[in-house]
This record gives sequence, structure tokens and C-alpha cells, in this order.
Amino acid sequence: MTATKPDLGTWVGKGIDRVDGPHKVTGTAPYASDVTLPGMVHAVVVTSTVGAGTITKIDTSALLTLPGVRAVFTHENFPRLNPSPDVLFGEAPTAPLQDGRITFHGQEVALVVADTSQEATEAARLIEITYAAEAPLLDPAAGQPEPLPLSPDTSRGDTEAGWAAADVRIGATYRTPENTNNPLGLMGCVAAWDGDHLEIHDTTQGTIALRKTLAAMFGVPESGVRVRVPYLGGGFGAGLNQWPYKLLAAGAARELGRPVKLMLTRPQMFRLVGHRPDTEQQVRLGATRDGTLTMIEHRATVLSSIDFLAVGLITSGTGHLYACPNVATVERTVRLNRRYPTSMRAPGEAEGNWAIETAMDELAYELGMDPLELRLRNLATDLDPASGKPWSSNGVIECCRVGAELFGWSRRDPRPSSMREGDLLLGWGMAAAGFFAYLPMSQARVTVYADGTAAVRSAATDIGTGTYTVITQLAADLLGLHPQQVDCRLGDSDMPASAQSGGSGLASSLSNAVIDAVSHLQGELLTLAGADSPLHGLGPDDVVCRDGALCRRDDPSVRVPIADLLAGQGLVEMSGDGRLRPPDAAAAGMVHAGAYGARFVEVAIDPMIGRLRVRRVVSVTDGGRILNRKLARSQILGATVGGIGQALFEDTLTDPGTGRVANGTFGDYLVAVSADVPDVEVVFVGEPDRYTPSGTKGIGEIGLVGVAAAIGNAVHHATGRRMRDLPITVDQLMM
Amino acid sequence: MKTTRSTAPAPTAQDEYTVDVFTVVNGAPVQWRVDTRTTLLEALRDSSGLTGTKRGCDQGACGACTVHVDGARVVSCLMLAAQVDGRQVTTVEGLIDEEGRLHPLQEAFVRHDAFQCGFCTPGQLMSAVCLLREGRAGSDAEIREYMSGNLCRCGAYDNIVAAVREAAGGGA
Amino acid sequence: MRAFVYDRPDAVDEAVASVAADPQAAFLAGGTTQLDLMKDGVWTPDRLVDISRLPLRGILVESQQLKVGALTTMEQLAAEPVVAQRLTFVREALLAGATVQLRNMATIGGNLLQRTRCRYFRDPTVAACNRRSPDSGCAAVDGVARMHAVLGVDERCIALHASDVAVPLLAVEASVLVSGPSGQRRIPLSEFWVRADEGPSIENVLGHGDLITEIDVPLLPQGWRSGYLKVRDRASYEFALTSAAVAVQMDGDMIADIRIGLGGVGSVPWRAREAEEMLRGTHVDPVRFEQAGRATMASAFTVPGTAFKVDLAVRTLSRQLITMTEATR
Repeated sequence: MTATKPDLGTWVGKGIDRVDGPHKVTGTAPYASDVTLPGMVHAVVVTSTVGAGTITKIDTSALLTLPGVRAVFTHENFPRLNPSPDVLFGEAPTAPLQDGRITFHGQEVALVVADTSQEATEAARLIEITYAAEAPLLDPAAGQPEPLPLSPDTSRGDTEAGWAAADVRIGATYRTPENTNNPLGLMGCVAAWDGDHLEIHDTTQGTIALRKTLAAMFGVPESGVRVRVPYLGGGFGAGLNQWPYKLLAAGAARELGRPVKLMLTRPQMFRLVGHRPDTEQQVRLGATRDGTLTMIEHRATVLSSIDFLAVGLITSGTGHLYACPNVATVERTVRLNRRYPTSMRAPGEAEGNWAIETAMDELAYELGMDPLELRLRNLATDLDPASGKPWSSNGVIECCRVGAELFGWSRRDPRPSSMREGDLLLGWGMAAAGFFAYLPMSQARVTVYADGTAAVRSAATDIGTGTYTVITQLAADLLGLHPQQVDCRLGDSDMPASAQSGGSGLASSLSNAVIDAVSHLQGELLTLAGADSPLHGLGPDDVVCRDGALCRRDDPSVRVPIADLLAGQGLVEMSGDGRLRPPDAAAAGMVHAGAYGARFVEVAIDPMIGRLRVRRVVSVTDGGRILNRKLARSQILGATVGGIGQALFEDTLTDPGTGRVANGTFGDYLVAVSADVPDVEVVFVGEPDRYTPSGTKGIGEIGLVGVAAAIGNAVHHATGRRMRDLPITVDQLMM
Repeated sequence: MKTTRSTAPAPTAQDEYTVDVFTVVNGAPVQWRVDTRTTLLEALRDSSGLTGTKRGCDQGACGACTVHVDGARVVSCLMLAAQVDGRQVTTVEGLIDEEGRLHPLQEAFVRHDAFQCGFCTPGQLMSAVCLLREGRAGSDAEIREYMSGNLCRCGAYDNIVAAVREAAGGGA
Repeated sequence: MRAFVYDRPDAVDEAVASVAADPQAAFLAGGTTQLDLMKDGVWTPDRLVDISRLPLRGILVESQQLKVGALTTMEQLAAEPVVAQRLTFVREALLAGATVQLRNMATIGGNLLQRTRCRYFRDPTVAACNRRSPDSGCAAVDGVARMHAVLGVDERCIALHASDVAVPLLAVEASVLVSGPSGQRRIPLSEFWVRADEGPSIENVLGHGDLITEIDVPLLPQGWRSGYLKVRDRASYEFALTSAAVAVQMDGDMIADIRIGLGGVGSVPWRAREAEEMLRGTHVDPVRFEQAGRATMASAFTVPGTAFKVDLAVRTLSRQLITMTEATR
């Protein structure tokens, strides 16, 4: 890591417009679904109609006589694939069409390829498949609990002693249902081979992990696989994994010697690209009469598919938010004949926070204490309570205080059903929130040109969070340029490798890689400064780039135009490569902190007809250094909408007998619409984080955490009814 | 068993399953000869290369494919291409003026950051243009209600409302 | 979607003859239900006869009624000033019924003919659906059934008729004019739909080749008030969990006359005649409102997922009765 703190502040933080905005509002931003290649044919995935068993017969002969149909791939003729490599977020869930085994209803069982998508779709409808069906395992109680690799059990102190020492105790069970990521952009790809070279336009959130997977499974060099994702119609985690559809398209394209386009349907988006899996959680809390926590116990069971495990992380934040000496977390999963799980925006934290922050509200009522006061008394802001080491930053108390002030929390009458407006019951609820720190590896290349412009290149994707824009702003500051002089290109695995956009890690990872790249660029430029140059003999951190010149950091009037430096050696450009250089945690003597937040919500409930409306949200976030105020606010706004959906609407239902998705369309699976969302007040607090030079924390997910619990707690305040199962619907609110 | 067929398909698509459509898209006359099954969405994207109009569900439930037919907003996934024969179609590509300047709503969307991933944005814009024309921007609540046919999974609704309000002359 | 032949005849007679002559032919109007069903593979006509350009669009305002062309869109009918004044609950149901995009496409005739939203009906890989294939069973009864019907249903089928506007149209005793192979006839909406418990695979009394050409909607007399209350999870753009269309003529705090339709509960749009009779000529009394609702819902057939609808429908009706009778007190 560079020793010198970068000089940020001219552009970083400013709420400039999204640099890719004009492309998006004119419909010219190219998404994978917009790609058309010469000779391209269309593939449609056929899915199983049983929840478990084996295929005994697939008759495809009739299909091949249909107009336009070019091929039908089944487990009998699809190419054998090599084992999946281990990449970030795990290996491919399963290699498709390798055998006739069915592990969930809606699994990929065949691929129909035709000249047009209409022809492929109609042929897929007519395929006849015979199964030896088995009764699917769908009851979690009948499954075998097993630990989750990413969510080990944790324990500190003695929770039973803490339970015994408590004056007030609560214990309850909380449930969160399956939610489906459902980015608006249908996922899919266009795959094209040229010999052993594969180019795929896809909807992945991580180009490099997909490149590695495709290369390994098809047995071709990684150097020959190119993954392109300049734009992505959202992801929310659904683009993190190496889903079978990508392998199907690539396999079919190779067999047919033609580009193959495969776009999933919306119903398939509920089955084939993951979801937030169901959880059941038991929480026990103990506290002394003054509200000091004496113990926290958090047990969670999360559902997995047969071949692919859930990420978990339901309990992993529990030991870190509150300063409690006695904490135990236990997390298990059960494999069922259910579709593949994955991460969905704020994975684990969104579900775990629902349980813990509802339980905290219950404890506050048992204590007769203000729920905010209970948080303030116990939040661990100086030291990580698990390790005892200082946080690199922690603004959670400030989040709570600022939010309470803006919301007017002090005017809250704590008695349930005490605040009314005509026939409506008003409820005010709050929740604290944390999100784990995650710092994956990224690399970037920064190039300066003789004409004074610059470019940043990385394989990272911008899924709508604003990566193009914030990296442009950062590079502008680092190079002393206007953002319009910086061209940021992302989403191409031929560019320097990068982490996926996911886990709220990319902004920090990539921004630090860019800082490192500029330092190296400055070093490279210095090699061009001859003995007669005023910059001769300086080190990379003694200089800065400003307005197309390399300058002495301590005296910018000493400057040499970059064009002159380049021309002296016959160069037209110069690049610096950089990567994240994570500090040695032990040497740094601190614990890397993630983002924090506090959510305050007002609901209005019409108790006669059970109608709930969210009327007001104040959302305060400690996101470290904010790279672009406008876009950062959008992240929190959007996550708040996601949280409202989690709280009130989203519930992917499974048929009890078959394991079929019972409501897998946008008409049946509800997400929040504009009319469901109030004006949300978004505030950022806190300081740049000390852990890395860029000082930013990821903020793509923290905004969702706590929203559901704040709403549920507000419902309790309005009605006196405690909400422990999501979503909160009309039938629970009729009074 | 190899079920791959390498030869080109026989020309079994009979004429009665093909339809000729004469329409006007973004002010320019267009002729499509398409499979009768072709939706307006597919004709715009695949036959005319106007990929700004997006497919988000293909079931009329998300609004991403919203376009104007004879000035009224519709979801192009639930309309056959044959049904717009002789009608005027406007897509997001038709919002910019002859000099290539953005429509005021497009500018307002950029200024208010009324999108994130951008996938629903063409549909949101086409809906919002009609909403203004329909006179339904009287209040934030009215804008929200009449924009509720356009899902935004990134959750940019508050910013969309702000952009529409501004374009309606209600200030930012 | 299965391949089909597309026709667009110029006249009603021609369209009717074209469909009548071919058992695999069907009319296509707004397409919002039909294309969806064709994509799902639930409905596979070989020939589509596009009637959307036939001269069946427009509203004729007469002194006692509206003559609404069957191809009038939901948006056009909602925009008609007389509807706002004399059929407020029709306008409110139209506006609550779908997004503007869908209202611009969907026709009134088509709205009355919309098929159930039941996901088991709409998924042809589900074998058990008495509505789709007679005597195959009903997967919904043992499945996930929150958006299903509780009135006019039994264990053979719990499909819901999800129309909003049909509910006040039924309450106001609208009728449809039908042109068919055997000529023209008028059918009151009260005799138009067939309840699932009277035969799950038959949805209405139309025969093959019958075409709705007009909907005649009596105007509420001067002095009546009406309104439509729709209860749903989402604030907009969702089918009703329950709804109540109420038109009332008050005489002081006495209910002189009343019409009630319920939505979100029936295999067909539901007229609450028992409730009307219990309330006609009575004073405003929320207790009696609830009793009237309970009487209407007494015959409900519920499964675990739909049990809440009985109580919710009673409350929805009570609330709407309170709202409609309040202002005159």
C-alpha cells in the first residue's frame, strides 16, 4: 500500500451525474440480451416437472422435424464437462446435463436450439420426458442438519451463566422466507467459439470467476476465454454464481459451431439463478434491569439445495454489533430438493438482523426501556467485542443518534397503539444495522495519453451501483484531471482481473487498486525524467499528476508535461498497474470494520382492513468515505425499497407436494412498486475508514439491513402485535 | 445418440404463418415480414434492432417493454407485431429530437439519478412521457400511482418521482 | 407459443363467421390475457381473428344508460365524464384494475372474459386442473392458494375471477350484447358467468363464435353514491385480496336502496344480494353491516391459504358501507 495518503476531494465525494447516464436514458447501453452475432441461433432451457428422481426417457426425434429446430441437447448427448474449479462464492452448482438425476423441480433437463427464439420456445414446450419420480425431500425437519463452511459456530464467555445472571430474558423463534433476487434484466448470455477461444456476453457480476470456470470446465486455456459485461440489468447476488445456463450455452455453441443466445424467462429466474433461502432462527437474550446485555444466543437453520449449499452468514454479524460478554451462535443448513440458493442483497445480515433487532425490541419492551436507549447502551463502537481490538471505524452510535434526532424519536409514546391519526394506528420502530467488512482482490490499470486524457481499465462490473462513475471521479482526483478527461472501461475479463461486484467489497477493493496503479504510473513516468529534469531522482510518492503534467507533490509549480515525458522516449501512452494491497491486519492492530446504519420507520395501519403503509423512513449510514453523494444516496434508497419488499411482500412459495415454485412470475411474486415507497431521508455519517487508503466502505447492501426489523417493530408499536415471521401481510394485521 | 442436425432447416414456415406489417416507428416507415407469433417487443428488438426497449418479464407485469402506440403507453410484450400495422410506434430511441438533444425527462432522469442498472429505464421514461401528457403529475402520490406499472428492482422510485416532478414543472 | 394464422376481418359478421367456422379459431382483442396464456402454453389456438379494429369502440351516453362498445379500452371508459359522475365505483374499479399500460390495451369486453390468474391453471405442466382439463383434479386446493376464491367454489376448483370492473358492472346490473353464429342476443351479467362449483371447466355462457359487441350499463339514478374499495398487499398494481363495490341511495340515515358487489372472493364476480336485502330500508349501523357481510360469506368454501378472506371480505364490505353512508349522515 502506498504510504502517502492520496489527495482526494476535488471530485471524490461530489454528487456528479452518473457517467453512463446518457447511454442508459437513450437505450444505447448494451446489455447481454441486446447482443446479436452473425449466424446466431437461439437456445431455450427445458426444466424438470418433478422434484426428485431420474429421467428414464427423453424423446427428441419429433422436435427435430419442427421448423427451425437445429438441435436438442439432453444428458444423453451434451458434452461431458470437466469438474468445476473452486472460485469465489463457490464452484458451479452442478454441471448441467451430465446425468439424468433430478434434484429439484424446475431443474435444467434439456436445451432446445432453433433459428428463432419463438421456434425454440415452441419446440421446448413439446418435448416429452419420462421420469422415474421420487418423493422430493421438502420438510426441513426431515433433513440432516450440517454446518456451513462460511458460517462457523462461534462462542465467547458463558451464555448459560449470562442467562442465569439476567434479570430479564426473552427467547423466540423468527422466520424469513425465500426471496428471489429478480433483477429486472433477465439473465442469459451469448456464447461464441472461435477454435478454442470462447467469447461470452453474460450477466455475471464477476467476469474473472466465470472465465476461470468456463476455461476449466471446457478444458481450454484461461487466456482464451473472454467474458464481457459492460452493462448488467441488476444482479443483487443472482449474478455471483457460475450457473448451469452459462455452461449450456457455451456447450451448445461449441457443438454447433455457431453463436448461441440463451436468455432465461422470468419464471426461470425464480429457479435457475438462486435466491435468498428460508431461515428459521431462535434467539435468546438476557439483560440486567438497567438494560445491559448479559447474553446473546442466536441459532439459525438455513435451507440449501441438494448439490449446492447456501452461503449462510445469518449469525456471523451477531457477535460483533453489541458489547456482550457471553455470545453463542450456531448455524446449520439442511439439504432439500429445492432450487439453488445464493446470496441476495445483504445475504445473511438481512435475515439475521430481522431476528436480532426484533428480539432487541422485544427485550426493550420487557425491560420497559426505550428501544433506542437499549441499543445505545449496548452497541460496541470502540472495540470489536469478539476480538477485543479497536475497529478501523464504527459510527453505529452516531447513526442511531442522528437518525433519532431527524426522525423526532423523542416524541414517541412507547405504549403500543397509543399514536393514532383518525382510524389509523401509527407505529414508530427502529433498528440498528451492521454489515460485514469484505475486501476481495482487485487489479486495475491506469493509462495516461499524450493528449492529456487518461483511462482506467478493470474487469470489474458495474451492476448499477455506479462503479464507472466513482472510479472516474477517483482517477480524476488522482490524476488532477476533469472527469470528462477520464475514460473508465469495465466489464471485460481481458482487462486487469477484479473481484465481482458483490459483498459490498468492490468499491473499496477497486478504488485502492486504482490508487496503487496511479502510484505505479507515477513511478513509470519518473523513469522517463532524465538527469536534466526537475523531477529527476524523485520517488513515486514525491510527485503527483496535475492537468496533464507530472509535478512535485510539495511544489506543484515544478512540473513537466506528461506529453513531453512520453515524447522523449517515443511513447504515446504510459500505464501503471495496481492492485489492492490489504494491510496486515495484525500489524495494523485493528479490525476492519464494515458499514453501519440505523433505520427509523413510521407505519400507518388501518386495523379494520389490515392495510399497512410505510409513511416515513430515516436511514442513516456510516459508509466511510462517500465517493459520490448522489449515487451513494441512490444505493441507500434502493436498498430501502428492497427492505420494504422483504418486510411486506417478497415470499417465494413452494408447492408442498412437488417442490414446484408456486408463484414464480412478477404477477404473483410481489416486489415493491413506486406507490409503496415513501420519501426516504438518507443521511451519511462517519469518517473515512482507517483500514485502506481510499477509506470507503461498501454501501450497496447495508441500506437494506434493519429496514424489515424497523418496520416490524413499528407494527408492534402500532398494534401491540409482535411480528416474527416475514413477510408482514394484510391477514396478520386485521384487528 | 446424436440429435444435432447440421443441415439447414427445411423451409416449412408457410406463408400463412407469416405476416407483413407496415408501420411507422419513431417517425420512419418500417416494414416487417415476421412470424405471426412475433410480439411488438420482438419485432422492435429483433427486426428493427431497436434494443432500447427491454424484456423484463414477457408477461406484461414489469413495464420494461413500455412503448407508445398512437401516443398511448402499452406493454409491447403483450401485443402482436401484426396489431400495430398502420399505427405509429414510438420507442425510447425516438425521444431525442432531430438535433440529438435529450428529451427533458431524459435529462431529468440523469440529473436526479433516477436509475441504477438502467434496465427498466427506457420503460420508465416511456411511461413518464405519457404520464405528463395524461396530466397525471399533480402530486407525488399521483406520480407514484401512475408510475406503478414500471418495476424498478434497484429501487430508484424516489428519484424517478423527483425527475418526473421536475419535468412536469413542479421543481426539484 | 404455438404457430397460428392471423386474420383481421373488417366486419363483425365476417369475424363471427370466421371463428364459428373453425373450432380452433379464436377472437383476439386487447390481447393482455390471451397472449400471456398463449406464451404459457395454456391456450393454443390455430387461428387468431383480430377484432381490435372492428367498429366496436366508443361510448354512447343515453339518459338512463351507457352503451359501451366492447372494444372500448379500460382507460377510455375511465376517462368518460359520465362514468365519473354517475358510476363512480366503475371508474374507481377501472383505475384500480390495472396499470395505465394495460388499461390502454385491455378492452371492456375482454375484461369480462379474463381467465383466472390461478398459477396451477396457468402452468400446463401441472396435470391436475379441472378448469383446464375436466376431471383431472385441482392442484390449488392442496397447494399454495392465497389469491383464490372462496365463494362459488368447491374442492373441484377454487379459481378466482380477478376482474375489478366486473364487480360494479354486475352490481349495477349491466348486460352484454352478443353476436353469434345464430344471431344477436342480450345476456344480463347476472346470467353471464358460470360458477366453478357449477362446472369448473365452463367459465361463461358464450358459445364458440359468440362475440360480445356491446356492454349496456345502467346509470345510477341521481342521488345515489357509489365507491369501490380494493384491499391488496401492495399499494398499487395487484389483484384484489378482497374488494367491495357499493352503490347506495340514502334517505337521511336510512339506506333507501343499495347495490353490492364483491371482488377477490368469487369464482365469478359476486353480487351480495343477501347483504342488500338485509340493509335495504335499515338505518346506518356498523353492527348490521358486519352481519350483512357475514351472511354473504356464510357459504364460503375455504382452504388454509384462503381462510382469512372470509373475515377480510366482511371487513372490506363493512368499511366501504361505512364510507358510503357516512357523508349523508
